[in-house]
Amino acid sequence: MRVIVDMNLCQDHGQCVIAAPSVFSMTEDGKLEFNANPDESERAAVEEAADVCPMQAITIED
Amino acid sequence: MSSTTLDSVHASDVPSFNVNDPNFSITADEVHEARERSWYATTPYGIAVLRYEQVNKLIKHPKMRQGSIAWPAHNGITEGPFAQWWASWILNKEGEEHHRLRRLLNPAFSPKLIAAMRPQFQQLANELIDNFAEPDRCEFVGEFAEPYAARVIAQLLGLPESEWPVIARESATIGLAMGVTIREDLPKIEAALARLFEYVDAAIADRKANPRDDFMTALVNASNPEDGRLSHEELRNSAVLLIFGGFDTTRNQLGLALQTFMKHPDQWRLLAEHPELGRNAVEEVMRVNPTVRWVTREVVEDFEYEGLLLKAGTTVHLYSESAGTDPRVFEPGFDITKQRKPHFGFGAGVHHCLGHFVGREDMSVALPLLAQRMRDPYELPGAAWLPDSGNTGPIRLPIGFTPGG
Repeated sequence: MRVIVDMNLCQDHGQCVIAAPSVFSMTEDGKLEFNANPDESERAAVEEAADVCPMQAITIED
Repeated sequence: MSSTTLDSVHASDVPSFNVNDPNFSITADEVHEARERSWYATTPYGIAVLRYEQVNKLIKHPKMRQGSIAWPAHNGITEGPFAQWWASWILNKEGEEHHRLRRLLNPAFSPKLIAAMRPQFQQLANELIDNFAEPDRCEFVGEFAEPYAARVIAQLLGLPESEWPVIARESATIGLAMGVTIREDLPKIEAALARLFEYVDAAIADRKANPRDDFMTALVNASNPEDGRLSHEELRNSAVLLIFGGFDTTRNQLGLALQTFMKHPDQWRLLAEHPELGRNAVEEVMRVNPTVRWVTREVVEDFEYEGLLLKAGTTVHLYSESAGTDPRVFEPGFDITKQRKPHFGFGAGVHHCLGHFVGREDMSVALPLLAQRMRDPYELPGAAWLPDSGNTGPIRLPIGFTPGG
């Protein structure tokens, strides 16, 4: 699974961090960091993160 | 670099707003002029942040929390049903407890689920316009914005749609809690709250017995005992918050949209011809004329920002309209075809509006339909407005137009 975040859209709201905390996190400075190749077991959480993103900036490639 | 504390700020250096003055207008020239002198102003509560860049940074700052939790206590209300309900708001939770609630509530607001309601929203908007008492004029708030906002919520939560006036009335009464007369209004507010809890409890019981493929069932599912995740109390508290949080804001934002478009008739005509601009029109209206005029945060621990020492407990108001029209970021004007940087009309960060997909969807359906059926709208005498701070909008907005479509 490959996670893509459109960083031109991303506004660092952090809703993805709430949905999938093992994949997405915020730096101390409030910027998004994420694992672009998470384990397959994270799929449901990442799909949820993509769904709730207010900017709809997250896509998943198989 | 030495830092400034709020106590040592001199009036000559930094603008100061008396936001408690009933005549204070958050969109007045005074505020825009202040924005050109300084990124912030002092207020009786703390500071007001005026520019896009600083609002964008501070609204999501990890050393700030959402700022309204202490409001009832500030007014001497520390117990009883209203105080308990207020404390239960997801908006007033932080950290892991907030995240848990958000994880449980978010799925009900899935954009896919909401997009499927588009035909219903369309039908509702057309029905309301069909039923205007006069063919060429309406009282926009009473005949459209209010029933539209209330019935969308009724549809969403599966409450009896015919009872929308009750939803509207009780939500408006609860809204008194945002004002300075909260204490004297408390008995009325608590009666309104009890009424909304009755509706919500009935809807929850119904979905438990008869699950459907809808929003309320999604919420009820989050409270399944086998998951043990969302408690029954959390479920009913949140459902009432959704009614309250979704009704006022949508009603007000629709009225503000009409206000803006009446000043830009060419844009209204463009929207009628190109209904696909509806989504962008919602964003552009919320950038220049958001109902949530300020977003409140409270400093959790001391930190320095741009040379200013912000101490724990300071209230920070982020001014959404001022940021949305900041000339450092936006060229002047109102243009529904332009792609702009994001506005702050839905807040931002972890407390970003939970229901924004609903508001975006229902307003992007309503505005093009209104543009097609209310051509060349103009304001008639008799409008009444909420104060221009906090959450604003028209209470009454008589509009004349040429019937179309």
